[in-house]
Amino acid sequence: MTEYLVRRVLQAVLVLFLITVVSFGLMHAAPGGPLKVMLSPGMSPEAQLIQMKNMGLDQPVYIQYMKWVGNLLQGDLGHTFKNNVPVGDILWPTVWNTFVLMSVAWGLSMLIAIPWGIYNSTKQYGLSDQIASIVAYLGFAMPTFWFGIMLQQYFAMQLNLLPLSDMYTMGKEGQISDLILHLILPVTVLTLVNIAAYVKYTRASMLEALEQDYIRTARAKGMKERRVIFRHALRNALIPVVTIIGLDLPTLVAGAALTESVFNWPGMGRLFVEMAVAREYSVLMSITLLISLMVIIGNLLADLIYALVDPRVQLGRKGGRAA
Amino acid sequence: MKKGRGWLKPLALLSLTGALLVGCSSGNNASPGTTTPAPTKKPVEQVAPQATSTDDEKPIDGGTFTHSTTSDIVTLNPIFGNDTASGDVMEYTQAYLYNRNPSFDLAVYPWSLAAELPKISEDGLTYTIKMKNNAKWSDGTPITADDLIFTINAIKTPETGSPEITKYDKVKEMKKLDDYTVEIKLKQLYAPFAFGLMQKLAPAHVLKDVPFKDLQAHSYGKDPAKTPTSGPYKWTEWKQKEFHVLDANPNYWGEKKPHIQKVVYKIYADQNTQVQALMKGDVDLVDSIPVTQLEAVKAKGTINISTEPGPSYEYFAFNFDKKNFPNNYGLFEGQKTRQAIAHAINRQGIIDNILKGTGKIMDAPFLPGTWADPGDAAVHYEYSAEKAKQLLKEDGWVAGADGILAKDGNRFSFEFIFNSGNSRREQAAVVIQQNLKEIGIEAKPKALDFSALVDQYANPGKFQVLLLGWQLSDPDPDGISTFGKKAFPPGNNAGWYDNPKLDALWEKAVSTVKQEERAAIYKEVGKEISTNLPYVFMYQYGTPRGMTSRVKYKDEFKPVSMIPYGETFGFLNWWIDDTKK
Repeated sequence: MTEYLVRRVLQAVLVLFLITVVSFGLMHAAPGGPLKVMLSPGMSPEAQLIQMKNMGLDQPVYIQYMKWVGNLLQGDLGHTFKNNVPVGDILWPTVWNTFVLMSVAWGLSMLIAIPWGIYNSTKQYGLSDQIASIVAYLGFAMPTFWFGIMLQQYFAMQLNLLPLSDMYTMGKEGQISDLILHLILPVTVLTLVNIAAYVKYTRASMLEALEQDYIRTARAKGMKERRVIFRHALRNALIPVVTIIGLDLPTLVAGAALTESVFNWPGMGRLFVEMAVAREYSVLMSITLLISLMVIIGNLLADLIYALVDPRVQLGRKGGRAA
Repeated sequence: MKKGRGWLKPLALLSLTGALLVGCSSGNNASPGTTTPAPTKKPVEQVAPQATSTDDEKPIDGGTFTHSTTSDIVTLNPIFGNDTASGDVMEYTQAYLYNRNPSFDLAVYPWSLAAELPKISEDGLTYTIKMKNNAKWSDGTPITADDLIFTINAIKTPETGSPEITKYDKVKEMKKLDDYTVEIKLKQLYAPFAFGLMQKLAPAHVLKDVPFKDLQAHSYGKDPAKTPTSGPYKWTEWKQKEFHVLDANPNYWGEKKPHIQKVVYKIYADQNTQVQALMKGDVDLVDSIPVTQLEAVKAKGTINISTEPGPSYEYFAFNFDKKNFPNNYGLFEGQKTRQAIAHAINRQGIIDNILKGTGKIMDAPFLPGTWADPGDAAVHYEYSAEKAKQLLKEDGWVAGADGILAKDGNRFSFEFIFNSGNSRREQAAVVIQQNLKEIGIEAKPKALDFSALVDQYANPGKFQVLLLGWQLSDPDPDGISTFGKKAFPPGNNAGWYDNPKLDALWEKAVSTVKQEERAAIYKEVGKEISTNLPYVFMYQYGTPRGMTSRVKYKDEFKPVSMIPYGETFGFLNWWIDDTKK
């Protein structure tokens, strides 16, 4: 297990390194650049050159990259070009804001979807199953921004029950009750989308498990259905579900830019788009790195959870996961 | 499906940002050039009940005014902050040396730092500026000649990296005559200089020991606690990407104090969210309602809408550098050819249908109704495919086998580029393509990322036709930096337009400080440029503005669309009345 973890961490470092090289290269290869976005082309070439020097953009890309990595290793994410603000000052609050939104949506989705999927697998084509199908179709087919706007129109504009947007009402920053009110609509949007996926996966996975020989054997032995489902089928059925959920982990940080925009949620998805337009390389690199890190951690966690829910999966042994 | 829609968000943001960038960057470029954004004499068109008060209503002190935006500030340091959001917040927090009046002339108000209009010497080279002697920064330090000299010095020094450098690069020397009087000598006669004096100052007592190259990194302008302000509001709080809180400055020196006690400058992710917030009453002012949402906002009934266009115009610029065309054959060499294109494009149709009436046809690079507007002296090209065909025929174009015109073996086919994500331009491009097809010209629209467009096409002058806009943030009508030979790429004259007659006229116009003489010269400019036609001047445009009816003001202090930041013109005299929602 330890050996496996060490191997995975080393792999992760290499992957992260490659990701940063490629991202940095791509960003700098793209036409335009922060100076073009910021300054008037009417400025004299000499003045522009001075500005480029001030920003460190006059140096070759590899030097810029090495400087960035050097700073990163010392815990410095860099500064924005536009107004020389430390990246961390802008980034960390948005990461937290997105985390709050996404973790509530994520947790709620699992709490609803997994039991629902299990139940539906035992009552195939029943009423609950039919409803789940409708929810799934809605969740997959409906553009999230449109759904968000509809919820806003009804609950915020017409009924005036809930706040229209933002994370807090001005002057009530930090108040949990105010935060909860602001969470309701965006969480509803995100949860619907997640539920759509998770219910389907859980149901399908359970159905597959329930058709296995060992389940038949268990039933033949006269084991109670509840025990068959929860003791035998569920453990196996959860594996693919865990994978999906584990791979969804990065969205906790990356956020859903569209939902954040519709609800004016001051999160990281929104920030990324804004910074991409402004060509703020330092912020973009930090976000890219953070998301990559989350993808790697998500994968690793999914693998580790495999081992927990399925004893047949043995990590670190040669020959991989074969039973 | 969820993932598939991921492009919409960047697209929407790019659209908005593209529009802003075009506005901002062109505004900056055009600062010393382009045209005069003076106001029209017409009253602001109101499509909903007026927000103004009746004469018997008395202003009420107190209340919060929420101004919404879609981008955060860069800095509140006037040496650097020239983007729209920074400018918005500075309108409340920083006093101008001179203000603009609604006619776009230099003016001294009780809230201006200057005590009187500048005295200009006979030769037009020396400006003497007298400042008020009672003005103070919000930390109590007096605002003096030192602040003015420091600010101009910092901006004109290239090491500083100020985007406003071209405003003061003609300053030869500055002399402090006394604590409140400064004499500025110019290297050459340059009439637009006066408008450059509509300047907000930076505090010398905070920044004088900072090397110019380090000014941008300094916390002044980025940390509310370290940013003394000169205007009626102080900067209390900044939550990045979320909001700014501005409170009435208790040390404000002006005779006229603000009625409204607090201003919140609130940042939204996009225009749609912003408009929703306006309709719910979460914000009081939105200055960019998408035309597609205008009807919904009107239907609300409690929001006052103004659709008067702002100081921006759209253009269709020809490229005169033959290297950009196959066989080095410049398609737009013929004046009649260019005129034909102007006749062929249905500008009014675009205004009526795409801009929903919120635009005005332009025939020259001067905003209609301003002092430099040449009026009828500029040639007007009405929409007429027949006239266009006639002119093309006269210029030697003959229909080829595929129906497309040809001359000397060259097909009349070109590509015109514009920034992607700008829905107004995207829709206009389709109309232009169709209009030109009707007269036998193949025009191929191509949308590009704004930054790439500027960097790879506009700046080096490598394109065939450019569909873009100018925002005329500078009040002076001088346009040599847009149309003159000395502004060839990487300058603003991206289309390599060379017209010595026009160059001479532009030069002549800035060589006198007498406005009537300049106006007469701009009449000639208007005639020449609209005849020779380096651009098809499309239309003046703006975005409709919405304001909640709880905001009250007398008519004389109403918002002015035609001047930059004119939406809060007279703000000091506004008040909030929640009793009559």
